Amino acid sequence: MNTSKKLILVLVAAAALVSQVFAHHSTSGIYHEDQELELTGTVQEWAFINPHPYLTITAPDATGVMRDWDISYGGAAVVHLQRQGYTKETLALGEAITVKGHPARKEGVYGLLMEGGGNIPTRADGTPVVKGGSMF
Amino acid sequence: MKYRITVFSTAVRILGSAVLLGLAGPGQAASSDIPDLDGLWSRPTCQGGGFGGCTVLREDDARLTERARAYQAVIDEMAQPKYDCAPMPIPHMWTDPYSFKIEQLEDRVLIYYGKDDVVRTIWLEGHGHPDPAINEFFYFGHADGHYEDGALVVVTDKFTFDPQGLNADFRIPSSTQKQLTERFSIDNGNLKLEVSTVDAFFLKEPWEFTVYSSPVQELDANWTCELDGARRSLRFETSKYPDDPDPARINY
Repeated sequence: MNTSKKLILVLVAAAALVSQVFAHHSTSGIYHEDQELELTGTVQEWAFINPHPYLTITAPDATGVMRDWDISYGGAAVVHLQRQGYTKETLALGEAITVKGHPARKEGVYGLLMEGGGNIPTRADGTPVVKGGSMF
Repeated sequence: MKYRITVFSTAVRILGSAVLLGLAGPGQAASSDIPDLDGLWSRPTCQGGGFGGCTVLREDDARLTERARAYQAVIDEMAQPKYDCAPMPIPHMWTDPYSFKIEQLEDRVLIYYGKDDVVRTIWLEGHGHPDPAINEFFYFGHADGHYEDGALVVVTDKFTFDPQGLNADFRIPSSTQKQLTERFSIDNGNLKLEVSTVDAFFLKEPWEFTVYSSPVQELDANWTCELDGARRSLRFETSKYPDDPDPARINY
């Protein structure tokens, strides 16, 4: 697989990866929580807003076609991401980043749920975009 | 002048004795009954510090009535008020991870939630606050409170019907029969909150949980819900109903 279009689809044991962003937020109907997908793309939008911040990146799908991917932090709100070090300025438009999470189930839309908010996107040089840690 | 001082000091003594003897006005608690709840409190957690597990009314919870299950089946995710920035209801609000503030005033208690910009007013009994009319209902209900045995006891009813009234994540509604009893007290410096919820139409038995909060220095930042953030995940939902509006919903 072409490393410049780094798209890795990995099926893993459900028990190892199934997680919930919050104990009572139901995302299992929306995302394949037994699958993990890693994407490298460029930031199109970084919306640091309540109730749920979101990130859009442009990255290739499984066939190599460029898509806009909606990257979700699940049930997390601004205050929770702030505790991990996020701000409105954390991600710049056009910046290259790599994200990892569970792909959306619905066909025709492209989305990724970052597992429990614990997956921190990384910049081109491999450093995480924030320090991370507990959201609480 | 000496006479005035004597009258004043006598009055102070009588008043002090009344307080000591618990002879406060009708509906008002003796000071020993009033816990110091005033301040900023951390997100509620279960005994032992875990988040959420003790509080959640699950999608397939055995306490749900057949009517609740029927509503769950009919009201799909697309139609949930939260996508229009409707606040989390109570008691769901207590199960979300946000700090909150309690302000104790003489005749009422205010609760400022760190989520959804919600402020609840607890009307303390014995201060002449009017009861709501028979035909008045409220999103957060009408809350009456009183102090007893070192706790603030709050009974809230008169809720509007709410399609996410018992749980906004699993589409569990609440009816105008929903009633909450909350008991706030101090336990080893932490706030202890015991919540019991009944709803004759949607719960077979009371839904009860106890959570704890510790003092914190500051409240979470201002909330300000934005529709883009609220509705973003709708694009990944599939509606059961073909005549639904576009997932981006209605432009108001």
